[in-house]
Amino acid sequence: MAKTSVWSDNRFWQRSAAWITGFSAVLLIWLTFDTAGQISMGTDADLQNGVTKRVPGPTVINYKISYEMSTARGHEVPVIGEKEKFFGRDDWSEEEAGALLHLGKLGSQVKNCMNCHTLLGNGAYYAPDLTKAWLDPAWQNDGTMQAMTGKDTKEEAMAEFLQHPSTYPTHARMMPDLGITAEEAKGIVAFLKHMSSIDTNGFPRNFGKIKGAVHGK
Amino acid sequence: MASNHLTGIGSESKQLATWYFTFAAIIFGAQLLFGLVAAIQYVMPGFLFELLDFSVARMLHINALVVWMVFAMFGSVYWLLPDETGIETIGIKVGKLLYWVFVAAIVVVILVYLFIQVGPADETSIWFIHEGREYIEAPRWADIGIVVVALGFVANLFLTGTTGNRSGIVTVLMADMIAFAGLYLAGMFFTDNISVDQYWWWWVIHLWVEATWEVFVGAIAAYGLITMIGAHRKVVEMWLWIEVAMLFGSGILGIGHHYFWIGTPEYWWEIGALFSALEPLPLVAMFIHVLYDWGKTQGGQDATGVEVSVINNKPAFTWFVLNAFGNFLGAGIWGFFHTLPQVNLYTHGTQFTSAHGHLAFFGAYATILIGMMYIAVQGTNGIKVMKHTKSSLWAVSMIVGGVMGMTIALTVAGYVQVLVSRAQMGATWAGYFDGQSGMWFAQAMDWRLLMGAITFLGFLFLVKDLLSTGKNPVHER
Amino acid sequence: MFEPFTDIVPSFFGWLNQGPLTLTIFLHTFIILPMIWIYKQEKARLEKES
Repeated sequence: MAKTSVWSDNRFWQRSAAWITGFSAVLLIWLTFDTAGQISMGTDADLQNGVTKRVPGPTVINYKISYEMSTARGHEVPVIGEKEKFFGRDDWSEEEAGALLHLGKLGSQVKNCMNCHTLLGNGAYYAPDLTKAWLDPAWQNDGTMQAMTGKDTKEEAMAEFLQHPSTYPTHARMMPDLGITAEEAKGIVAFLKHMSSIDTNGFPRNFGKIKGAVHGK
Repeated sequence: MASNHLTGIGSESKQLATWYFTFAAIIFGAQLLFGLVAAIQYVMPGFLFELLDFSVARMLHINALVVWMVFAMFGSVYWLLPDETGIETIGIKVGKLLYWVFVAAIVVVILVYLFIQVGPADETSIWFIHEGREYIEAPRWADIGIVVVALGFVANLFLTGTTGNRSGIVTVLMADMIAFAGLYLAGMFFTDNISVDQYWWWWVIHLWVEATWEVFVGAIAAYGLITMIGAHRKVVEMWLWIEVAMLFGSGILGIGHHYFWIGTPEYWWEIGALFSALEPLPLVAMFIHVLYDWGKTQGGQDATGVEVSVINNKPAFTWFVLNAFGNFLGAGIWGFFHTLPQVNLYTHGTQFTSAHGHLAFFGAYATILIGMMYIAVQGTNGIKVMKHTKSSLWAVSMIVGGVMGMTIALTVAGYVQVLVSRAQMGATWAGYFDGQSGMWFAQAMDWRLLMGAITFLGFLFLVKDLLSTGKNPVHER
Repeated sequence: MFEPFTDIVPSFFGWLNQGPLTLTIFLHTFIILPMIWIYKQEKARLEKES
């Protein structure tokens, strides 16, 4: 009696395919629930009580943010420090900060940031990554970008650049004028500051730390 | 030799398929043109500055890519349905109406992208201009339209599949296309939380191109093997089920490789690394499968003593074999290069991704869809054995050479970025531009432009061939 | 034997992630193992048919 092997039987593979697909999908949905809980935005109370959230609440703009090596996790993590003024205030309420972040996130989409820049590393590669742009040395008090705009604070310098990018050519490849208003620029800067406080598992690595061999810096 | 697909004349479903293929080819051309604009801007940054900026050209480039592929995919299904089910597609009148709705919507969206470009930062812009989310920028109104059209298409497929003969290929397509349409819904909402935004955005992008689209390719390849070389249906469909198991088994949780750095928990490192490391396996299997079936049927033919080729459509089969290899090379090898988190920490968001994107979309999807266009040309012209022409050979060599050239150039550029901008300079603003002004990077971009231009010339040969080869007397009728 | 938990929020999947391979081996086992049961069922069916 010639027996057919199960390994060459269509029904066996069809049922296996259905099981594997279905179960993988269930696992993905389970993982999604787990992750969704961990990446939901924190609140103002979390920030005041020092509760670490992967994605802090919008009032994180009232605080100083730094990016430091964590020995426990083996990579850099954003650290939320003491109060810091943002456009002259460090008492943005949850509603005000939320509205600013909302405007900034809308702006980041409508102005098509992602089709030149990368956000959290995703997007186009025609312009620098914006994940930790808020922490970039070029925008700090002694940084070249801040000096160029003639402003006294990081947030004002960034807002000025966003409104008139082609007035401040930094490279042959320039950012075009996208008709960003003063209010929209404020929102986008808040969005960038908020994004720099997101725990990205150490991406990008060594951000701004290595002044290394290039050009003998 | 199977010749059931030669019944193209008189089938309304097949007529609709040719409409879909025609519009797909036009948008394919648009994709290449806007890609050229963006490539020129890397070399000459002032080109069309503040007229058609890189962001707009690139948005058109990648949206046209998605649109032409979706059109060609719908066309492929309408083409094979009558052959597989043995009946005319049910609801074909609605299908034809939806086609025109789809075309009109795409034309409006393209014109808005081109001439309005940006709006104020409010919800109206999201509804009527674009959503600014890579690959699925289409404004909200168009999203809703696309869902309606996709549901109509899925309804046609389901009604025809359940009424006629539901083959293994049709069963796979039914399950796959409903997931394909449903996943689009995950990309249709707005949130202030960018981590949540990108989490769901990848549900659409990844679960399309690394799961449902790949399974679609498996089904089309199975159809092609049966119709073009007369491969044994039972064997082909068994392979198809194995491929479905492997593709979904690795691809669904392989989504984890997009969740390394967007704010999601660390456990995704391991899930993403190991599941996506398995993603090349089904692609190897598909490659072996195509070559094995080809050798087997040709060997069977040779054993009869009459030495003729078993292939009844040379240009289409060439593109199908290129698909089997290109899928493995572009999606498999170039994807595996940077899928492990230890590597991805430095390659994420560099030209490496771009190199992979170019070869993977071309190798995995463009090739087989062009093959389907040739099958349609054969069917509508009643050709028994379709041969290569000079144009079809020029098209194949220039497009394949051009895309490979672009991929290699972008890979070199990616290395410069990884070493200089990322490893050495810590990914800052200054580090980015240090990498971009390096000689290796700049020259790589010159080569990319040249290779892009060659690809476009190859595309012109392809169009010429698709339009003229049907009447060419070299084919056996 | 167990690695200290490092991620921000403890979770089931985080605990399974004890170093290279632990989490994926666990998930793969659950995905692949039931195929043995499908195999046995199909073998019985084929034997009955022949």
